[in-house]
Amino acid sequence: MTSPSLAISARNLTLTLGSNAAPVTILRGIDLDIPHGEVVALLGPSGSGKSSLMAVLSGLERASGGTLNVAGADFMGLDEDGLAAARRGRIGIVLQAFHLLPTMTAAENVATPMELAGMPEAAPRALAELEAVGLGHRTGHYPTQLSGGEQQRVAIARATAPRPELIFADEPTGNLDATTGEEIINLLFARRAETGATLLIITHDAALAARCERVLTMADGVIVSDTAAAAA
Amino acid sequence: MSLPLRTAWHIARRDLNARFKGLRLLLVCIFLGTAALAAIGTLTAAIERELASSGQELLGGDLEVEVWQRDLRPAEREALAEYGDVSGGFRLQAMASTPEAAAPIELKAVDAKWPMFGRLVLTDGREVGAPTGKDAWIAETALERLGIRVGDSFTVGTVTLRAAGVIKDEPDRLSEGFQLGPTVIVAQDIPAEAGLLQPGALYQSKHRVAFADAARDAEAVEEALTKAFPEAGFDIRTRDRASPGADRFVRQMSDFLTLVGLAALVIAGIGIAGGVSSYLDQRRASIATLKVLGATSGDIVRIYAMQIGAAALVGSLAGLAAGVAVTPLLASALQGLLPVESGFIISPPALVLAASYGLLVAFAFAAAPLLRARTFPAMALMRSGIVPLARDRRALIATAIGLAAICALALLTTAQPMLSGGFLLGAGGALLLLAGLGWGIQTLARRLPRPANPLLRSAIANLHRPGAPTGALVTALGFGLAAFVLLAAVQSAIDGNIQSRVPREAPDYFVLDVPRDKEPRFFELIQQDFPKAGIRTVPTMRGAVLAYGPKETMVRVADLKEIPEGAWALRGERGLTYADTLPPGNRIVAGKWWSPVHNGEPLVSVDADFARAVGLEVGDYLTIGILGVERTARVANLREIDWESMGFNFALVFSRNAISDAPHNLAATIDLPANPDSAARGSLLRALVKELPSSSVIEVGGILVEARNLLQQVSLATLAAAAVTVLAGLAVLMGAIAAARAARTYDTVMLRVLGASRRQILLLQLAEYGLLAGLLALVALALGGGLAWVVITQLFEFDWLPDWGQVLAVLGLGVGLVLAFALAGSLPLLRAKPARALREL
Repeated sequence: MTSPSLAISARNLTLTLGSNAAPVTILRGIDLDIPHGEVVALLGPSGSGKSSLMAVLSGLERASGGTLNVAGADFMGLDEDGLAAARRGRIGIVLQAFHLLPTMTAAENVATPMELAGMPEAAPRALAELEAVGLGHRTGHYPTQLSGGEQQRVAIARATAPRPELIFADEPTGNLDATTGEEIINLLFARRAETGATLLIITHDAALAARCERVLTMADGVIVSDTAAAAA
Repeated sequence: MSLPLRTAWHIARRDLNARFKGLRLLLVCIFLGTAALAAIGTLTAAIERELASSGQELLGGDLEVEVWQRDLRPAEREALAEYGDVSGGFRLQAMASTPEAAAPIELKAVDAKWPMFGRLVLTDGREVGAPTGKDAWIAETALERLGIRVGDSFTVGTVTLRAAGVIKDEPDRLSEGFQLGPTVIVAQDIPAEAGLLQPGALYQSKHRVAFADAARDAEAVEEALTKAFPEAGFDIRTRDRASPGADRFVRQMSDFLTLVGLAALVIAGIGIAGGVSSYLDQRRASIATLKVLGATSGDIVRIYAMQIGAAALVGSLAGLAAGVAVTPLLASALQGLLPVESGFIISPPALVLAASYGLLVAFAFAAAPLLRARTFPAMALMRSGIVPLARDRRALIATAIGLAAICALALLTTAQPMLSGGFLLGAGGALLLLAGLGWGIQTLARRLPRPANPLLRSAIANLHRPGAPTGALVTALGFGLAAFVLLAAVQSAIDGNIQSRVPREAPDYFVLDVPRDKEPRFFELIQQDFPKAGIRTVPTMRGAVLAYGPKETMVRVADLKEIPEGAWALRGERGLTYADTLPPGNRIVAGKWWSPVHNGEPLVSVDADFARAVGLEVGDYLTIGILGVERTARVANLREIDWESMGFNFALVFSRNAISDAPHNLAATIDLPANPDSAARGSLLRALVKELPSSSVIEVGGILVEARNLLQQVSLATLAAAAVTVLAGLAVLMGAIAAARAARTYDTVMLRVLGASRRQILLLQLAEYGLLAGLLALVALALGGGLAWVVITQLFEFDWLPDWGQVLAVLGLGVGLVLAFALAGSLPLLRAKPARALREL
């Protein structure tokens, strides 16, 4: 039984992809507890399994084995649609390549997850959220009309608007220059602080990791170190 | 867990480009398919409505009884009078003349009650009834041929008539059938007075009945009359089928148009499948993003089904509007072929049917890509490359349900289920064939050794790599090019029929009712003007088949509930003849011809097709009725007849001793030498009128021109209708190439970045599409050619005479279009510098 104070609890989590003839094991028995509200950095070299771990923890991918409890839901017992439903309103995701819906305006992009979660007042809340990330003047713009930094602000607004319990960010500054990246991280941390959500952030940036309360380091599909960050 | 419909629509509408970007191929395909079907349905409904509502006017009564070579007997007339008012008259071929000119005419003698329905309108605006005394209503062309004006006199037989008015609109013209000369309408007693109703003369008496009880069942009356006078040789028509010729034409045209509509739909379906697939492929990232944000696979299906449904609805509605709007144009292209003016109408059942087809096709062909899109994983955003999608059984089931519904609708609403069923089966087979071919090409490409040349390697890899659109391209190109072949083959085959069917070497004249005792004089008259003229005479009379079959178990025609298919010779009276030798152009296929001096049991030679239709064999018997007398003859042989030779052809030829004692005249054909002098022609006609006043001449030249014009209109109508299929085919071709090109943009740019020259890339694409289009051109030739064969031989019952040169040229044009379109789209990418192209990727 997972403690109610834990946002994420994983035991012996494994992930194997590929065909039966040529299986590739990506996660090799992960044990992990993350309490509510904690800010965690996930470090590791390319191919170490960071993104896969985040995909499994956020319900984008089903683990092949082990137990996983996220935001009170047993993810191992859910199929893909069950996982999608479990994400609604509870989990916000920010990706490196922004992945805004190109056919929708900034405001519509932000409103969509709230609508999917059946939340009332999605449109005005989306406008308020964009205002909060400094894009009150760009609400009617389409993604192609926005700069990379602006797109990532919209993505952050989209992730935080439903007031999720957990926010996952996969290298959110990977496609941005250093200054813009800094602004984005400040914004992400600020929004997280306002919402009180648990934040798991994948990064290669040691400075960013240092701003987190806890740093996990992965190599070859396992967590090789789990330390409190210096600044935490 | 699933999204409320309102929220799904909210997201769907937001994601849907207002100008339907990405869904335009689907829109165009549904538009074309629905427009074609709406136009076809509206036109057919308009014609059927017109035929049904004006049946009485077209026929001139509720029921018409026609009999050859005699007037009705008092008992027959009394039987008709029991049902209501009877109007009688005659119709025959005759010659009209003045001292200076002569013209073959169609003489129509009518009594004072004519016309019982509708009005005869003259060119001076008068609405008149039957002419009185020696007055005649005369067709403009007859007036011109005779060189006279209204008020002048002319002669028919031994009677001098006055041209009292020029016919503009004849109410029962359509039910009279094919016209062999301009009409002259006279009072009922004129033909007899002119000496044109001698025993043996070929004339029809026609009696129309206007029922006293308008609600009386015309078919029941027909049945009662046939039962009461089984041997009378009546040809009875009712108001419901006032013009069997027109009905048959409408049915054939409607069947053809239905096939065109179905073909357009099948092609549209391919376009829809391709359009939806590429639309959803472009949306992969959006779908994955929506899933990241919490949308379930069911939500994805709902959102995109709403978008596709909205596009399908808009396409269908636009198609319906275009279909209705284009109907008058189609009617005008078919003017002269159609029995009636269709006007502008809206037929709700036709429109509902067209819309149902459109939406069902959209459902059937969009279901598979739509259900597959459910399985785009959210993780696709985090992994590069193409994620192969699992096959979905539900997609197969949905497609099968949609296709079954289309087939059921097609079969339930067609007048010819066999034809439509056959077509649908064929189309299904063709789809399977193309799918198999696509699979084969991919498999072959996968197994080929990898060439050292990187461009060639890339070209081959394009055919089989994961996500390669080879299958879709093969199907689209196959059907698209097949539409080109269909059009060219049908068109050129009709032209071929116009050239060959309307014979070049037809006799110049047919002459009817040459008295047997005047035969030598007839020859003399012709040979004095044209010594080298070819003249052939045959005895002719009219009679009806009353019974047939083995001697002890002969089938009475009057007892048949339905005339067997192909047994047209059982209907009413037919032309009969007798001969001592096998008629020229005929071939014995069973039995043998009788001796020229045969004097034993009466014999008959029967058309082999007719014999097959009724199961008649050599040794069986046939009973006919000629002028009320029954005669029975034994079937001595079966003949194959070349019906297309413009000579005398008879389904039944008797031995001389079987029927020669019945009153009859001769019919003749006259072949004049090439380019006969027109003055000499005029002189011949005048001489024939003078010496043989009861004979009538039919000028073949005029009939041929009329036949040629009719066929040319069929050809034009076919072209107009089949153009829809070609347009759908073009849309599908363009759509498939555009989708495939989008997938290859990345390769093109990367090859440029890696140093490939523009020329190399163009050559690579040319080779790839050239190979594919070349291979599919062969498939299209078989598919389009096969469908064209069905249309020409089974529907129009024409000969299969396509101009293969023309077909190949049109197919070449289609292949050229494919290549041009494939290359044209790449040019902007090739013109741009690699760095810029890379940024635009």
